[in-house]
Amino acid sequence: MTFLSTLALAVALLVVAPYVAHRLRRRRAEEQLFPPARLVQPAPPQSRRRSRIEDRALLATRAAAVLLLALLGATPFVRCSRLSLQRSGGASVAMAIVVDDSMSMGAAAGDRSRFVRARDGARELLASAREGDAVAVVLAGAPARVALAATTDLGAARDAIDALAASDRATDLDGAVTLARGLVSSLPQVDRRIVVLSDLADGHPDAPPLGEGSAVPVWVALPELRVAAVDCGVMRADRNGARVRVGVACGPGAVATGREVVVEDAEGKTLGRAAAPAGVTGETTVLLPSEDAAPVRARLLGSDAVASDDVAPVLPEMSRGAIAVVADAADETVATGGAPIVEQALSALKLDVDMRPIPAFPDRAEDLAGDVGVLLDDPPGLTPEQRHALGAFLDGGGVVLVALGPHAAAAPLGASLEPVLGHGVVWGGTKATGGDPASAVGALAEPARSLADLGASRRVTLDPEDASATEVLVKWTDGAPLVARRAIGRGEAWLVTLPFSVDESDLALRPAFLALLDAWVGAARARAAPKRTDVGTPWRFPGAHVVDAVGPKGPLAASRDEGVPRLVPPLVGLYRITVDGKAEARVAAPVARELDLRPRAAAAGTGGEGMGERRAAVDISGQVALALLALVAAEIALRAWSRRKVEAV
Amino acid sequence: MSGRQAIRRAIDWGELAPLHIRARQVADGVYAGAHRSNRRGAGVEFGGYREYVPGDDLRWLDRRSLLRHDRLVVRQFETETDRVLCLLVDASASMGYRGKGAPGAKIAFAAVIAAALARVALTGGDPVSLTFLGGGERAPHVPRSAGRDQFERVVAALESVEVGGDARVDGSMVDRALQGLARATRRGAIVVFLSDLIDLPDDSAERIAAIASTGRVLAVTQTLDPAEVEFPFTGTVRLRALEGGAVVETDAETTRERYLAALAALTGSWQEATVRRGGRFTRATTTDDPVRVVRTILEAVR
Repeated sequence: MTFLSTLALAVALLVVAPYVAHRLRRRRAEEQLFPPARLVQPAPPQSRRRSRIEDRALLATRAAAVLLLALLGATPFVRCSRLSLQRSGGASVAMAIVVDDSMSMGAAAGDRSRFVRARDGARELLASAREGDAVAVVLAGAPARVALAATTDLGAARDAIDALAASDRATDLDGAVTLARGLVSSLPQVDRRIVVLSDLADGHPDAPPLGEGSAVPVWVALPELRVAAVDCGVMRADRNGARVRVGVACGPGAVATGREVVVEDAEGKTLGRAAAPAGVTGETTVLLPSEDAAPVRARLLGSDAVASDDVAPVLPEMSRGAIAVVADAADETVATGGAPIVEQALSALKLDVDMRPIPAFPDRAEDLAGDVGVLLDDPPGLTPEQRHALGAFLDGGGVVLVALGPHAAAAPLGASLEPVLGHGVVWGGTKATGGDPASAVGALAEPARSLADLGASRRVTLDPEDASATEVLVKWTDGAPLVARRAIGRGEAWLVTLPFSVDESDLALRPAFLALLDAWVGAARARAAPKRTDVGTPWRFPGAHVVDAVGPKGPLAASRDEGVPRLVPPLVGLYRITVDGKAEARVAAPVARELDLRPRAAAAGTGGEGMGERRAAVDISGQVALALLALVAAEIALRAWSRRKVEAV
Repeated sequence: MSGRQAIRRAIDWGELAPLHIRARQVADGVYAGAHRSNRRGAGVEFGGYREYVPGDDLRWLDRRSLLRHDRLVVRQFETETDRVLCLLVDASASMGYRGKGAPGAKIAFAAVIAAALARVALTGGDPVSLTFLGGGERAPHVPRSAGRDQFERVVAALESVEVGGDARVDGSMVDRALQGLARATRRGAIVVFLSDLIDLPDDSAERIAAIASTGRVLAVTQTLDPAEVEFPFTGTVRLRALEGGAVVETDAETTRERYLAALAALTGSWQEATVRRGGRFTRATTTDDPVRVVRTILEAVR
């Protein structure tokens, strides 16, 4: 503030002048002639009191006028700091606003969070937009997504920005800028631009400068958001008995040394505590008083840039998932010995799942807990208990792979393959010696060429009713299904009409066999989502009809992706999900790279030159002058009213 | 006299002008043609009794009543002689007041009443005189006379008078007026006093009421402005009297009741003094109908 503005504002001290004038004026009322005045009793005290009450409005008006006068004098030097658009030649503008709603935007920027400042900046930009301008809004939280397609309806744009909420997602700035470019590049406006309101902390500080080589000019506004900060967070918290293992990670330049990790129950009572691990990443173990204690969450004490990642729900410790394999070692062992060939094939795939050979399909569904899939190689039918357990496994989203062979066709009395097949199968000879590569679909389309000659003389033939209920992935050359699948409950059953034994065919020796196993395991893993995933990663519920979820900030609506219910957790924390009436809990964990709050570089020319101003001058002298005029009019009215009142007397 | 003072002293006639025509209109409204000039006092035909008041002629004291009832009673007689109408009009400064909404100043209203009374009397053949209380050194005096020209003289005097004089400061103002009145009246005369009675000296009521005890008929008509009767002020007011120099700052709402009580007490003292001497007391405001006021006065002195 300059000397002149200070001087102008000093005029405001004259606000006491009207008060003094009133004090002097009110000592005497207006004198009037009245012959019988000697009959009137004087009453000065009450007279003065009334005088104060009647003059108060006038006094306030005059005082306000003096203050406004002072402000008017200082107005050329009083400017509001806000974002605004610049136009080239006054033409309409097509603008895509990229608002970063990632977790790092939860850090403070002055008296508010970075996200709130970014949202306010978007509002300021919209305020300077005019009719004819096109606006699009893109969110940079991973995955980048469109909050508002390009529109000239500024009211809709304002509503879209008002509806933006902070999230704990990772950052996908490049994806967001690409999306934004696509939204505005085809618009008719000549003047196009992308405005990025972000801290640029996407976990890749060494990535190429943002906006480099962009066909649409990029303006990275709000430089005050790009302040380096340090953050640590609880990445996971797993319980095993009375021990809770808490994983803590920190961004570059930060360590959790000296901080503590506590485990709390639902009421916030501390059940146990331990020192946070030293270093950038580490794990600490908190001992609970008993195995019966019900820990709810682990908390990293102390403060850092982002608070939302300092708390994580505690989950029971679990494995990464397993594939149960039921195979007859006597039939399927290759001549060189060792494990059944299907087990060797699964091991060769080096899948991120464990393999669990079991001698027979279990009688209880609980025995399959932790298994994401079950492979049955030529099972001799299933007992009622096994069928019940298989049904429950499939209803819960499990996936089975059944290779049908002579044993399946010769199931003893009382055994069947329900609920996978409703009828028995027939094992018999065939003239088709292999599969038809042209009939292969999906992941098997390419490798199915290796199935052209399987050397099989016999095969399983499905009952026509069962065959019609399946989706054929690969056919025999005579059109019969070789590989098929069908949905059962939330799960899926894959069928192969040949056993995996090398004595019956060369199927297990073909590359397509590995592709088949890989595709099946992928389907199994997709349906058996882990209990803890990165925040922002979608949760899919194939086969489910009704999915309800309650997240850390209340109910979360499910969407549908190709008919499959889908949930995207936007915040870190616990989600209680009900899938067709069955409750389960999942946890969204922070993304480790989001702890890195170092901003990446912005390309040269992204400072907004010619596109907008960071400190646009908003001269409010006109409004102040209008207010001053209104006050003057009000004073005149008040004086006229007072005079009329006196004249009436 | 400065210009400002001249303006202040000039009569604010307002809607009551011109006096000549207004007085005729009022008189025409009052005059019924059958005017009987009767008075009680020295004469031939017995006219009744009344209580003795100090100053009564002892010749008319009824000794029989005194002996029989131990009461002082005087006899009254009707006379067929002419009756002199003596108009005493207050022209002190306070009579120049005209409040908001009043048709004219108090002196203007009093002038209309006085002129109308004069016209009624002159039409009946009775002589009329006019004396002013206050009005400055050059206040005109119209000696007793009858005839058509007398009305013009009375109206001219009323039109030419200027309000002035402070009765509370000038103690001889009332004396001068009463002396002039004594010269113009005789027994049986009718004296009509038109005044606001506000700023007169404290003993004025007794002295003027004494007129009624010397064989004259006295009618006192208090002439007030509506503002003086209603006290319509609000809020804080600073009031200055036109006589006596009183200046009062007050709160109108809280003082109104006490003012009205004081005015009522002042009026009551005058009414009591007048009636006790056998006079008549009436009260009028400048918004009253002059015809009704004149008729009331005539009824009072009949």
